[in-house]
Amino acid sequence: MNEFVQYLVNGLTIGSFLALIALGYSMVYGVVRLINFAHGDIFMIGAFAGFSVLTTIGVTGGMALPAVLAAVVIGALTTGVVGTGIARVAYTPLLKAPQLSLFIAAIGVSLALQEGVKVLTDARFKSYPNALDGGQILGGSVRVTYGQLVLVVLAVVLMAGLWFFITRTVTGTAMRALAMDRDAARLQGINVERLILMTFFIGSVLAGAAGVMYGLYYTQISFGMGFLIGLRAFTAAVLGGIGNLPGTMAAGIFIGLVQSFSAGYISSRWTDVIIFALLIGVLALRPTGLFGERVVERA
Amino acid sequence: MNLDSRLLRYSGWPVLILLTAVVGQFLDDYALTVAASIIIYAILGLGINIVVGYAGLLDLGFAAFYAIGAYVSGLLILKQGWNFWLTLPVAIAAAAIAGLIIGYPTLRLRSDYLAIVTLGFGEIIRITVINLEVTGGPNGLTGIPPVTIAGREFVTPVDFFYLVLVFFVIVLAVTGLLARSRLAYAWRAVRSDDRAAEAVGVPTRRVKLLAYVLGAAVGAVAGPLNAAQLGTVDPSNFTFLTSLFVLLVIIIGGMGSRPGVVVGAVVVVALPEVLRTVQDYRGLVFALLLIAIILVRPQGVWPARFRPLTLPEVAPAAERRTAKGRLLEITGLSRRFGGVTAVEDLDLTLDAGEVISVIGPNGAGKTTAFNCITGMIVPSAGTVAVNGSDVAGQAPHRVAAAGLARTFQNIRLFGDMTVAENVLIGRFARDRGLLRRLGAADLEAVRRCLDFVGLSDAATRSASALSYGERRRLEIARALAADPAVILLDEPAAGANPTEKRSLMELIAQIRALGIAVVLIEHDVALVMSVSDRVTVLEYGRTIAAGPPADIQEDQRVIAAYLGVPDDPETDLVAEVLG
Amino acid sequence: MPFFPPPSSQSPRALSPRTVGTILSIGLLTLPFATACKGGGSSGGSGGSGGGDIKIGVPVPLSGDSASAGQDIVAAAKVAADEVNKAGGVNGKKIQIVEADDACSAQQGAQAAQKLLNSKVVAVAGGYCSSAAVPAVPIFGRRNVPFVIDAATNPVLTETGKGKVFRTCGRDDKQGLFAAKFMTGELKAKRIAVLHDNTTYAKGLADAAADSVKQQGGGAQIVYNDALQPGQADYTPVLTKIASTKPDVLYFTGYFAEAGLLMKQRKQLGLKFALMGGDATTDKTVVKTAGSAAEGYMATTAPLAKDLPTASGFVTAYKTKTGADPGPFSVYEYDAVKVLAKAIGDAKSTKGEDITKALHAIKGYQGITGPLSFDDKGDRDGLLYITVSVKDGDFAGYKKLDAAGTTWVDAKSA
Repeated sequence: MNEFVQYLVNGLTIGSFLALIALGYSMVYGVVRLINFAHGDIFMIGAFAGFSVLTTIGVTGGMALPAVLAAVVIGALTTGVVGTGIARVAYTPLLKAPQLSLFIAAIGVSLALQEGVKVLTDARFKSYPNALDGGQILGGSVRVTYGQLVLVVLAVVLMAGLWFFITRTVTGTAMRALAMDRDAARLQGINVERLILMTFFIGSVLAGAAGVMYGLYYTQISFGMGFLIGLRAFTAAVLGGIGNLPGTMAAGIFIGLVQSFSAGYISSRWTDVIIFALLIGVLALRPTGLFGERVVERA
Repeated sequence: MNLDSRLLRYSGWPVLILLTAVVGQFLDDYALTVAASIIIYAILGLGINIVVGYAGLLDLGFAAFYAIGAYVSGLLILKQGWNFWLTLPVAIAAAAIAGLIIGYPTLRLRSDYLAIVTLGFGEIIRITVINLEVTGGPNGLTGIPPVTIAGREFVTPVDFFYLVLVFFVIVLAVTGLLARSRLAYAWRAVRSDDRAAEAVGVPTRRVKLLAYVLGAAVGAVAGPLNAAQLGTVDPSNFTFLTSLFVLLVIIIGGMGSRPGVVVGAVVVVALPEVLRTVQDYRGLVFALLLIAIILVRPQGVWPARFRPLTLPEVAPAAERRTAKGRLLEITGLSRRFGGVTAVEDLDLTLDAGEVISVIGPNGAGKTTAFNCITGMIVPSAGTVAVNGSDVAGQAPHRVAAAGLARTFQNIRLFGDMTVAENVLIGRFARDRGLLRRLGAADLEAVRRCLDFVGLSDAATRSASALSYGERRRLEIARALAADPAVILLDEPAAGANPTEKRSLMELIAQIRALGIAVVLIEHDVALVMSVSDRVTVLEYGRTIAAGPPADIQEDQRVIAAYLGVPDDPETDLVAEVLG
Repeated sequence: MPFFPPPSSQSPRALSPRTVGTILSIGLLTLPFATACKGGGSSGGSGGSGGGDIKIGVPVPLSGDSASAGQDIVAAAKVAADEVNKAGGVNGKKIQIVEADDACSAQQGAQAAQKLLNSKVVAVAGGYCSSAAVPAVPIFGRRNVPFVIDAATNPVLTETGKGKVFRTCGRDDKQGLFAAKFMTGELKAKRIAVLHDNTTYAKGLADAAADSVKQQGGGAQIVYNDALQPGQADYTPVLTKIASTKPDVLYFTGYFAEAGLLMKQRKQLGLKFALMGGDATTDKTVVKTAGSAAEGYMATTAPLAKDLPTASGFVTAYKTKTGADPGPFSVYEYDAVKVLAKAIGDAKSTKGEDITKALHAIKGYQGITGPLSFDDKGDRDGLLYITVSVKDGDFAGYKKLDAAGTTWVDAKSA
């Protein structure tokens, strides 16, 4: 029983990261019909951005909450800028081109980011200072660290913020309109290009925040860290119904739990097979995802 | 077609092969190893070219077929002591079956989801072979002997290079045959608009599955070859990155283009080798190059070019259909979407040579009814009998084969195919054969239908380059190519000017003269009244009136619902229209 | 919007794009010839130039995740070559190191081997990933070029080497046996868990250790033998599962990237069992990841440079040349190059068969890693493994077996 709770705790932690990253996939796809392959690598950039912040500040150890928050905020915003810059240079010229071109460009960007960071870090991994160590919360043999708590709370705050933004603000509503019908949105006076860039910005901020938090929690970051987690997050986005934000969040948590429980009760060797089999099974039965899509297919 | 250009066109491949064979004599061992890798990637490229290039199914997990070919062959050689040559057909068959299994769940999916599902399959296969002891785990299979022919080992780089070259030539010939088959045209239609293709008579499910099966079979050939070259089957050879590189072969070369495959394979294999001098930056340069290509030349270095159809000069005239009697009988057709009843209890009958129209305000359920009749939507209730047999609820291509052809409200042509090729696709309703070449019957039908609608001069033009009126006529020509018993026209006069409307009316008369029954959805009341034998009026899904045009024009309910009430400010317009 | 770009227009007027395409294609088709030219020459070299040099090939990963290990090995080879050349070379000729990237993959390994043969190497000293070395063995073997391996530990390499493959490093089955002895003997563990990462090397070592434990008898049993997935970062579920089998010790045979995470997360979860690892986990960066959680971590390994008093000269020379500390396998590469130089000198010839014969004939050559002789298969005779542990933030020698092979003594003792 103890194991079960421990798996649950771990699964929720992993799931929070996946949900944050998956949201970025979902948003961008909803607006631009692009599976942004490079999104997982944006997450990686975030991790390195946070790393730079922390090494500049000079954190050594212990729970340095202000430093942690600074790293998350600055790292996330920096990543947002980087993500938007990339979109401006590599994606916006292709918005009118066939979808495949955009897809391939994203693959190219993904490779370029990985390789670029690889060159800069000499292919070695970097270690975050242990800023979130220590602390046991739950009793008994189930362990929850302060770090885990901080992270889950942060993730929830970010997701709630996104939800508020999308549903309650004018810009957010404009984004939803854009996702439904680009031409109609343009005719309503919405500056489509600017809004698309804003979507990339928000998605990248979320991924960047997730990256910093990941670095803080797991300590080790390397140029290739974005690929596997990006793939899992994308699976979550599709599973939850791409463009459907609450569905995506739920699916992210779900995949995190699958990862944890499958490693615990079966074997982590088969985790990916299970996750992909789930994806294929769901799509075979419901071609638009578990919770259905919120993008309109033009007839 | 004069002799010179024919020579030029047919000599391309033989010259290349000859050149390669000759050059092989002068290369050193290292270059020969690289060259052999290029050819193996070219074989893989020809395989993925079928799936992605022809059929348009974005496969991100093609390495799975490569892996299956290698493992099946390797296991049979090592555990059962089979000879390399014996394992080949088994390996190919295994991959073909895998293609079926992988293709089946993806049939209903959109391009991007399909891509991720295929990626998932690729990973599943890779992880499974790493996890199982029988496939050697992460070690893979080692100790695979080199290929032997009559006792002679083909293991040195020179020998292996020529062996692989021979395989390439064979695969090239096979894919060449495929490229000229009816299946190739079906693939292009499915790639362009799969729902329209289905509606027109192409058995899209079978066509898509064939793409996977054949693509997998070709890709699987590379597996045993590679295993024999290295002596091992190493699972790290079949990662997602491998699938990506294979995809890049056709993206760089040009999708659907076999010469492009060669160029692509060269770039994908040789470029990293050339870039070894800037070792660390190799991957980065490659990535930037990829982005550059997609921004600047997305159609690839050697884009696919398709030979235009050679139509006969004159086609025998269409025979007047001798079918008599009831061609179409629809009873009780209904379709509910949750709480909304889009079509309620529709009854229609149609005899040979009749023209009936279905009219009504927007949202009355006309197009939904059409979709139910043609099988694009499954009706909630009712029967649709064509020539006596009920086709309700059957797949659209079966309905088309039963004799029901249609056009679309928003014109769904295959934009990247020519006018003649569009009409050709209509033939699939009549003849579903895939693995053969185009027959005389096909080409004659195309010629006949083009002549009928007056588009013969435009036969080689791209369908997307036509004017609006021409596109409408092309769609009708495509529907006629199916030699249907009944043709359903969905708002054919929409957006047409008076001249075009007049020629449309003439066309409908000519169609009826052929003995084909016509069902028309239209908003142009004048046209409807002058052309139809009977009119059915729908409102909110229900039939509010049905009968000859004269009766309908007088019917109060119809006037209230659609034509307009006398007190309506639109009165003059009504008089004008009916006058 | 269409998903795919439409094929180029079919109208006969579209000549320009077509010409562009043809020119581009012809240009790209000449790429292989560029490789042919480059492949002919050698890439990189040190310690001499011009014809008449004795070329020794070094196939290692120079790209990909293991690139840093590969670079350490090449640097060590060059240090060795410099030394030999400074002392007058071999048979009057200078040694030249020719490196080739095997990218830790079978395909690249085969190509790298071909490339080296092209460059006319007379012998090869290198190898890191067994998966890249496996296809290279028959390629070198067919040309009778001897292959002295410094770091690839999969037993199959010498088992199928036909006597032409040698090792200055150990083999996984020997390390596995050593680990089993340590865990049952010194740690007195009864319940042993084994964890690998499903790669060739790690699984080989894990299975070897598990088999050895079973053969040891004495009531010790394997309670867990499975793999984690590298690159995943969160191993708390795996650790929790292992903990549920109540092991006394966990032996992790994967790489240092995961080892650091395991240490850290084990502490996070408050788990009590001992943690030790194989020789791919002895990189100092684990301390950076795990911090204080790394203290007390043990590993089986062939002796590191710092544990070998005889290697101090090498370490200094390496540091001077590269400005960094040598990697864990640098000393083995150094010895590989040096022993090859000796063999070539003994044989007074650069023909592969002669060098191979001379290598087999070597007895008790004093390498910096200890006395070097090869058995019939080419494996190193009597290589002693030791255990190291993390003390005060760095790896230091811990325990080894005494000469009799029965008692555990301090590693630093003579």
